[in-house]
Amino acid sequence: MARAVKTQRKALNTAIAWGVGLLIFFPILWTILTSFKTEAEAIADPPVWFNFSWTLENYFTVQERSNYFRHFWNSVVISVGSTLIGLIIAVPAAWAMAFVPGKRTKDVLMWMLSTKMLPPVGVLVPLYLIFRDLGLLDTRIGLVFVLTMINLPIIIWMLYTYFREIPSEILEAARMDGAGLREEVLHVLMPMAVPGMASTVLLNIILAWNEAFWTLNLTAAKAAPLTAFIASYSSPEGLFYAKLSAASTMAIAPILIMGWFSQKQLVRGLTFGAVK
Amino acid sequence: MGKITLSQVTKSFGDVQVIPPLDLEINDGEFVVFVGPSGCGKSTLLRLIAGLEDVTSGRIEIDGAEATELPPAKRRLAMVFQSYALYPHMSVRKNIAFPMKMANVPEDEQARRIESAAKALNLTDYLDRKPGQLSGGQRQRVAIGRAIVREPAAFLFDEPLSNLDAALRVGMRLEISELHERLATTMIYVTHDQVEAMTMADKIVVLRAGHIEQVGSPLDLYRAPRNLFVAGFIGSPKMNFIEGQTAAAHGAHTIGIRPEHIEVSATEGLWQGRVAVSEHLGSDSFFHVHDTGLADVITVRASGEIGFRHGDTIFMTPREDQLHRFGADGLRL
Amino acid sequence: MSTKASRAAARLMISPSVILLLGWMLIPLGLTLYFSFLRYNLLMPGDNPFVGLENYSYFLTDPGFTAAIWNTLALVLGVLVITIGGGIVLALLLDQPMWGQGIVRILVIAPFFVMPTVSALVWKNMFLNPVNGLFAHLFKALGLQPYDFLAQAPLLSIIGIVSWQWLPFATLILLTALQSLDSEQLEAAEMDGAKPLSRFWHIMLPHLARAITVVVLIQTIFLLSVFAEILVTTNGGPGYASTNLTYLIYVQSLLQYDVGMGSAGGVVAIILANIVAIFLMRMIGKNLEA
Repeated sequence: MARAVKTQRKALNTAIAWGVGLLIFFPILWTILTSFKTEAEAIADPPVWFNFSWTLENYFTVQERSNYFRHFWNSVVISVGSTLIGLIIAVPAAWAMAFVPGKRTKDVLMWMLSTKMLPPVGVLVPLYLIFRDLGLLDTRIGLVFVLTMINLPIIIWMLYTYFREIPSEILEAARMDGAGLREEVLHVLMPMAVPGMASTVLLNIILAWNEAFWTLNLTAAKAAPLTAFIASYSSPEGLFYAKLSAASTMAIAPILIMGWFSQKQLVRGLTFGAVK
Repeated sequence: MGKITLSQVTKSFGDVQVIPPLDLEINDGEFVVFVGPSGCGKSTLLRLIAGLEDVTSGRIEIDGAEATELPPAKRRLAMVFQSYALYPHMSVRKNIAFPMKMANVPEDEQARRIESAAKALNLTDYLDRKPGQLSGGQRQRVAIGRAIVREPAAFLFDEPLSNLDAALRVGMRLEISELHERLATTMIYVTHDQVEAMTMADKIVVLRAGHIEQVGSPLDLYRAPRNLFVAGFIGSPKMNFIEGQTAAAHGAHTIGIRPEHIEVSATEGLWQGRVAVSEHLGSDSFFHVHDTGLADVITVRASGEIGFRHGDTIFMTPREDQLHRFGADGLRL
Repeated sequence: MSTKASRAAARLMISPSVILLLGWMLIPLGLTLYFSFLRYNLLMPGDNPFVGLENYSYFLTDPGFTAAIWNTLALVLGVLVITIGGGIVLALLLDQPMWGQGIVRILVIAPFFVMPTVSALVWKNMFLNPVNGLFAHLFKALGLQPYDFLAQAPLLSIIGIVSWQWLPFATLILLTALQSLDSEQLEAAEMDGAKPLSRFWHIMLPHLARAITVVVLIQTIFLLSVFAEILVTTNGGPGYASTNLTYLIYVQSLLQYDVGMGSAGGVVAIILANIVAIFLMRMIGKNLEA
């Protein structure tokens, strides 16, 4: 009897949760569906759901008309580049703070975090002028630099929280076992830190990929990543829903997939370890 | 060879001196146990010997050679950690091989030593597993295996059994003792459990607040504790301490008598009291006695089954030859 | 604990990060402060005289400023209320036993990974458009007049879009916190005779308090800087109806080329963000000690 009630409850939970989940996901689902429609089907009233003539035409059109893949590639270069450079700078710092904490380590960490609190618009003007004078406007290298600096505190913090979970006794064991600093890092620390580093990388690529303040303000055409390129659809000409959907689907698909993989680490990364 | 000498070693963390100047000699092949309550500096002392902490001043010699400034890797010591500190990403085989790999031991020699260590420690079937797939006792043995294969000058154990359950602890205690018999290598073992100290040690070093309170064989410490602290720390259940007139009658500030050195009777005896709690273990019976007029509680141990219950009147007679007398400064008279 | 040699190496390893971040923070910050005291417009070449607090007084008395402050406030508070209220409900829902929990979780957090320009454009065109949007179709099907959301209720529409983006974040964090609640605590409360509602009120909510605070503070930092959504949907209009502080400063500095005014606005934005940041840092700092 109790068991039957439990199954009923579970069925009800399932129905409600799936309903709410699909409702929240619906805009994305609708975008993906629309990307396979013709422009006429895309604005049809009443809307067509699945029984339309599926086509990939929009995807080809987007590429032909606006050289979509150049912007896609810009996004890849900027997000991956800034993350990897950030990682190279951050790993030694996080390693040192996690394993050789000093009296001021905590202050340094908090200070690094505080740079993240600076509203971007507060430094928009000088940065724009510096970029203009150095010829960095609308260049990928300029954006890589900005995004590296923006995400560096997050990378350091994430790595720090991961490194801190590696028990120091294990590193001491390696030292007792005769490992020098190089062996200690190579054979013991790195293999244990790889999972944490992987999720740090993943989260930072996501954040950099979706960054939409500096990418919009510091690029025009040449170096524009997808965030800025997509924004150019905001002044439409004629029917464009299907093409907009195709461009959007391609822009969010890789990140959606990466995001689903990193959802557990997401919480820790975005709350600087305050919620795990 | 594994003779270790500490001379005038001190350690401070900032302004706090956790080890005041300390001298200690550990002979080759000895099983030495550092014992004391938590925070007494016993682990710090072990880590100073290991080289995991810098000494603030003083000298450490290993086999007559200066080792004070040597990094841990160069001291030829092996350590078994409280948490075992196994490398979680390596198989058991690779864990055990790691120190040999670091020392560039040839591959076939590595394999030979791994095999013999695995055999001795019953790990042969588990060599290709990861530490995460092992039980606590097995992990403990892997940690020991990793220490053995280095053929170190001395083994250091940092509370190695504290994460095991009671039954396993007794078994591992025996295994470590057997290992010492077989290898005859110096072992330094840190614990807060005086039973481990008593059962395993050749020499016990009792520490309190960084000071050495007494050094000696288990029975020396049991028979002739140098002060009240050691008297209270060594032996289970704890020694009874009696102050006041009764002690003065023996010309002491405090007298101590172990629970097992008190005779009990239902009818007659020197002291009289009322049983508050009786614990019957079958082989022994313990009575916690109140209202004696001597101390808050007197603990008594009797062999076999004796039928005192809560509230019974009990008579007790201490064995005069087993009385310990202490002065007002806490030192043995 | 450590030895002397390792401490020296540690300092060396930390320094590149510290130097870079120090430069990144101090140079633009110093320049912003400096520019904010100059009459400096890119359209008017010549020397840039020092004008004291003139830019500040212009910026703070600009009608756009008052509007922007209220809009910023409405945007931040509106999104916070929606995402936290919704987040708690969703977290409780997702914490129940059900089939396909993992998939529902994935569906719910998906919007967080959608880049702001895409979500703004999709909402603007495919949902809120008064002619071809899905809502317009829905209204017509129900026999109602189509409603031009972005023209009639621009700020509310933007609050809706931004809430959709941040609801997953709040849900995910609150769910994580909820799952860390010791189930024995709830069982103990049940044994003590607490009904579901009082279990939620007396046990779950206090347990979530910390996570809620973290969500509030982190979202506030990001919500103060909402930009792309406004740029793409309404351009801050009509009038100043959906202009927030970030967008106002963008208009003044990059569209009107007034470096001095834009910088003064930047300083104001930094001060406001710092007030929030201080609370956030205290929270995280406490956690660091624990």
